[in-house]
Amino acid sequence: MWNYYFVLGWRSLKRNPVLTTLMILILAIGIGASMTSLTMLLVLSGDPMPHKSERLFVPKFHIQDMRGYKAGDDPDFQLTYIDAKNLLRDKRGKAQTVLFGISPTIDSGRKDLPPFFERGMATTGDIFSMFDMPFRFGNGWSSDVDDKAANVAVIGPELSEKLFKKDNPVGKTIRIDDRDYTIAGVLETWKPTPKFYRLYGTEATSRPEQLWLPFTNAVSREYRNNGWNNCSGDGAGPGYEGWLKSECTWLQYWVELESAGDAARYKDYLNAYVAEQKKLGRMPRPEQLQLLNLREWLEDAGVVGRDTKLSTWMAFGFLLVCIVNLVALMLAKFTARSGDIGVRRALGASRKEIFHQYLIEAGVIGLVGAILGLGFSWYGVHILSSRLASASDFYQIDFKMLMITLTISLCAALLAGLLPTWRACQVRPAIQLKSQ
Amino acid sequence: MIKMQQLSKVYRTHLIETHALRGFDITVKEGEFVAVTGPSGSGKTTFLNIAGLLEEFTGGDFWLDGVSVKGLDDNARSKLRNEKLGFIFQGFNLIPDLNLFDNVDVPLRYRGFNAAERKRRIEEALGRVGLSSRLKHYPAELSGGQQQRVAIARALAGSPKVLLADEPTGNLDSQMARGVMELLEDINSQGTTILMVTHDPELAARAQRNVHIMDGTVTDLTQETRHAIKHAAEIA
Repeated sequence: MWNYYFVLGWRSLKRNPVLTTLMILILAIGIGASMTSLTMLLVLSGDPMPHKSERLFVPKFHIQDMRGYKAGDDPDFQLTYIDAKNLLRDKRGKAQTVLFGISPTIDSGRKDLPPFFERGMATTGDIFSMFDMPFRFGNGWSSDVDDKAANVAVIGPELSEKLFKKDNPVGKTIRIDDRDYTIAGVLETWKPTPKFYRLYGTEATSRPEQLWLPFTNAVSREYRNNGWNNCSGDGAGPGYEGWLKSECTWLQYWVELESAGDAARYKDYLNAYVAEQKKLGRMPRPEQLQLLNLREWLEDAGVVGRDTKLSTWMAFGFLLVCIVNLVALMLAKFTARSGDIGVRRALGASRKEIFHQYLIEAGVIGLVGAILGLGFSWYGVHILSSRLASASDFYQIDFKMLMITLTISLCAALLAGLLPTWRACQVRPAIQLKSQ
Repeated sequence: MIKMQQLSKVYRTHLIETHALRGFDITVKEGEFVAVTGPSGSGKTTFLNIAGLLEEFTGGDFWLDGVSVKGLDDNARSKLRNEKLGFIFQGFNLIPDLNLFDNVDVPLRYRGFNAAERKRRIEEALGRVGLSSRLKHYPAELSGGQQQRVAIARALAGSPKVLLADEPTGNLDSQMARGVMELLEDINSQGTTILMVTHDPELAARAQRNVHIMDGTVTDLTQETRHAIKHAAEIA
């Protein structure tokens, strides 16, 4: 019978194309608006590494002096070079890494490709395993490379194709700021959503970097941080050495622990470290340090802004208005078919069967509305991406969103169809048959 | 086939109560062709709607083919209606978006027949009313008489025990009306019980038995006539 109801629903929609188009458009626009907002919200609020987000941590220290101190101040989300180096040296986690942004010049030596700036990251070899970064060719670098500050690089797939097309460039060199670097590996496309490992400004939705150099090497080349630097207080002394010895915070630090349960022990270690630094006259603020796992880190960084949440609520409010309008149209459509319902009831259809038939018809509207709404959503996401240059191809409708869109659209249509369908079931056949 | 005892039907609003049927007793035997007559507002249609399980009654008892319908839920009533009853309406009540094949198919779908069985029954029913060549036509493409024939085919397709006809010729000219009446007589001759509401005394006269409804109560005219004849004979 479901098949029969589906055919009847489809025929009914074809019977009045103007009304049907209106109903489908109302639903599709509501779905399009809400799904666009939801895509944004889900991308930003997703867990980029669900299998280990409980074991990846960011430490936050109160580095600054007492000037301008207010109780309850938030600790710094980045570390000084001194602290990052000390924590890296102690190696108290299963793996640990540090990051800062760089933007060196790459010279391909080709006439058809003039030198260009490339956004990159200075980091340690642990990062590749910590964040499960996939490789197309080769691997990351070893701790030896970190220790020796060697000229080794890992590049992203886009840069690899730009310089070497489809070839495997592992072992070849790449000229970075007038120095040759040996390519250890080429990453596969890797797009954690949100881009959790370094969060400030619009970084959460920016494209992953295409160049990865050893932290020690980048420091030896006196690369400055391309990103957020906090130098309140005395600021930095002269030269790069003064920068490294300063209390400026500019390094993002990550540690991976064996298990989530190890967090307390690691925090004890950090507290001991802070106590030690206090003895040296550093970190004078009385507030406790923080150790945030990945999910807490995303929450703390406010990746999902209030505006995003508000716009999602508003979009779903709009969908509700669309559903109310759809209810009114369906009510009009179904009421106009009371005669049809009366005949079917007289010929043996029970109320339940009429209910199923009309609910399926509402479902057909939902299905067509979902397909069109998906088109609107895709367009909305496209517009959103194009307006945020840093987020191009970041917001995408994946299979999960596709299923959510279909489900919400069907539920919306069925919800909208519930009252008209219930009313259709209440039709008294005797009256309808006589009035025809 | 149909047995009603002390049946009553009261329509209630917050202002008034209307007694459409009261103390209504009737028995219709299998294979009978009964014409129901009476003035407008007498309760004819109410009686037919209750007989067709389209409306519930307020009091009394009603048996359809030996089954007491009192207290049956909507599903059971719908099933019984689908299996035992066929309807023919004054306004034909065909579904305009469906072609003849699909119109006749409607009650068979609810019966749960498979596709082959439905096709066989539809073709047979439409053949019986002389419309087997117009399966793909839509109701609007037919004359009134032909539409009523389709309605009869739809009623017959499920092989009902009782055919309920409410003014089946009311919207037809005399020639078409005659054709439809002959068809009903033919159907009745093959064993289907027919209960027909009509205003037309000529059509009523063609039925085997006439009952008259007045102010919600029923009088069996045939019995009245018999009593009158018997009474006259006794006097003589």
